[in-house]
Amino acid sequence: MKWKPKDLLDLDNLTTEEIEHILQTAKPMREILSRPIKKLPTLRGKSVVLLFYESSTRTRTSFESAAKILGADTTNFTVAQSSITKGESLLDTAKTIQAMNVDLVVVRHSSSGAADFLADTLKASVINGGDGQHAHPTQALLDLFTIQERIGDIKGKKVVIVGDIIHSRVARSNAIGLQKMGADVTLVGPPTLLPTEMSYLGIKLSHDLDKELPGADVVMALRLQLERQQSGLFPSIREYSKLYGLSVDRIKKTGKQTIVMHPGPMNRGVEIASDLADSVQSVIEKQVTNGVAIRMALIYLLIGGGTGNVVD
Amino acid sequence: MLWIKNVTVIDPGQGVSGVNDVLVQKDKIVEVGPSFKAKEVLVKLGVTDINEVNQIDGDGKYLFPGLIDVHVHLREPGQEDKEDIASGSRAAIRGGFTSIMAMANTFPIVDQRAVVEFIKLQARRAGMARVYPISAVTKGFKGQELVEMMDIKDGGAVGFSDDGKGIQNAEIMRLALEYVKLTGCPIISHCEDEALASKGVMRRGRTSARLGLPGIPASSESVMVARDILLAAETGGKLHIAHVSTKESVEMIRWAKGKGIDLSAEVNPHHLIFTDEDITLTDTSYKVNPPLPSREDQEALLEGIIDGTIDMLATDHAPHTWEEKARPFQEAPFGINGLETSLAAVWQKLVQSGKLTPEKLVECWSLNPAQRFGIEGGTLKPGSLADMVLFDPLYKEEISTEAMESKSGNTPFLKKELQGFPVITWVEGRMLMKNRKII
Repeated sequence: MKWKPKDLLDLDNLTTEEIEHILQTAKPMREILSRPIKKLPTLRGKSVVLLFYESSTRTRTSFESAAKILGADTTNFTVAQSSITKGESLLDTAKTIQAMNVDLVVVRHSSSGAADFLADTLKASVINGGDGQHAHPTQALLDLFTIQERIGDIKGKKVVIVGDIIHSRVARSNAIGLQKMGADVTLVGPPTLLPTEMSYLGIKLSHDLDKELPGADVVMALRLQLERQQSGLFPSIREYSKLYGLSVDRIKKTGKQTIVMHPGPMNRGVEIASDLADSVQSVIEKQVTNGVAIRMALIYLLIGGGTGNVVD
Repeated sequence: MLWIKNVTVIDPGQGVSGVNDVLVQKDKIVEVGPSFKAKEVLVKLGVTDINEVNQIDGDGKYLFPGLIDVHVHLREPGQEDKEDIASGSRAAIRGGFTSIMAMANTFPIVDQRAVVEFIKLQARRAGMARVYPISAVTKGFKGQELVEMMDIKDGGAVGFSDDGKGIQNAEIMRLALEYVKLTGCPIISHCEDEALASKGVMRRGRTSARLGLPGIPASSESVMVARDILLAAETGGKLHIAHVSTKESVEMIRWAKGKGIDLSAEVNPHHLIFTDEDITLTDTSYKVNPPLPSREDQEALLEGIIDGTIDMLATDHAPHTWEEKARPFQEAPFGINGLETSLAAVWQKLVQSGKLTPEKLVECWSLNPAQRFGIEGGTLKPGSLADMVLFDPLYKEEISTEAMESKSGNTPFLKKELQGFPVITWVEGRMLMKNRKII
């Protein structure tokens, strides 16, 4: 298919075919990653700016690796060393980047809508690397890719996402992507972190993890921001972990060889026990590897012309 | 001297609603009545030559008493990049408002008589809409100590409000409602519980969840409305609730009025026209506080106006510069620019669709504000000030910053066409706007 979108802001404005096309494109990328010489000339001369307003290790590194493997040049625009600390607005920063004639901007920002805002302003393509509580589409795509890789067709599979749903851009983008791919998704968390308004997704919401585990093909734990305890959203880490923490014992309740996912970074012993995180059921490291492949696919589709064969 | 002929006069203050002629001498209304003859006019106006009388054909148009907006932010002193008293009062005239009440959240805050008098002076210099200052309730909006209410009232303030910020301490609110009785003015309450509103940027609900924007629950307003009603009942102080936006608030105000509590309330046009579902991540002109309501809330607000629970319409005109609004949704300031679009918007969306009568519009936007705040205007009774608006229900205009008198253009109607605009505005008999332009 011919790739049309200029930007990747979230999964809700992608068609199922477009999502499938991204996943399909990521397959040869994944293969390139396992080669001894990981370098292609495909995007030579293209420039990618990584505009990260929030700290991030894996996402930024992942994008940077992806762009470099494809031969593009990358520039890091990190908050501490830039004029952002001198009070420059996002709009002016965007215009400055625009003036440098870059091809692609990857943005991470603590405000929901920051990526949409940039896409509205810039001629360059924009990939949302996570905006506030709104969306994290590349994480969702790499999760879809990982699920497909491990258990095949996503359609009809039961996926449980557990944790701080309301504050999670990962949960939102995953719920949308999984639904589009035909999965049966359930969101689980305490009422303070999974309030009723999440019903907008039109999927099952539950406060009882143990009740939802039977039959689950995939269980995804979200990172719990420990500071949220101080604002009263849950009484203690101990109680949270007791009610919603994943462990090898608990995951047995699925009655299946369930795969366990986590977007990282993990709080071991809080939302996920080490025994499970390091078990054969865990695909957490695979998620990281696949993240590079998915981002290669996206960068290629957005600024590589979307035609021709990437793999020689 | 002025003779407006064959115009549909809407003046609930004297129960007039129909085609009439209107006579004005100097700054006062002389008479409103059915088609005068030239000879009668000469007698009534006490002139010998009909050429001394400016004659205006009002056929197909409405004549309203000048609208009174009890809730505007003029930003002066301190934030003249957004608006100043001259530009804001010009915008008022262009929008059909002959009197406006200016909120106290300026820099410095209006918490001393000197600032009140400065605002009145600037308004006189501008010579446009009459501007009535509202003073803060507490010094520096800190919610701790009351301002010198009597001195400030003598300086010209017509009400007291920390608008922009809710008074969090209930005891301070109680004391304010007690002490304000000395002045005879109302406390205008901005009802917002800061702990509940927290860092929210839009109404909490399914749309905020979908957009991943922090939500403000409806309760953040409603609990404060309940509190202030109970305090008004206990103290007997005069209370006005600003920008009501939830159905629970409407229900409690209805209950309070049934109990005879001295209470009035306003609603903003944008809360009657837009809902939270209209919000997108990239248009910050919809970002306002209180945030755009749910659909059920909106229905309750309209019902509240129709049954008299809500007394007034008010724009909550809140100008912000383009740069400030050109930010991601979460970071942009709250506020909608309303003076030049609100009448047209309410006309088009609510009157034309039959939800609101023209009589109700005038009652809520002119008569009731004048009566509640004890200011002139609100009616075209003989002897009243000739504050008038000639309104053309067919006039269409695309909203543009070039045509606007306000310094800011933060309105969701920008680049959209509205129908039904004031075409002449008179203040005290002086024609200040004609054919959509300030004279």
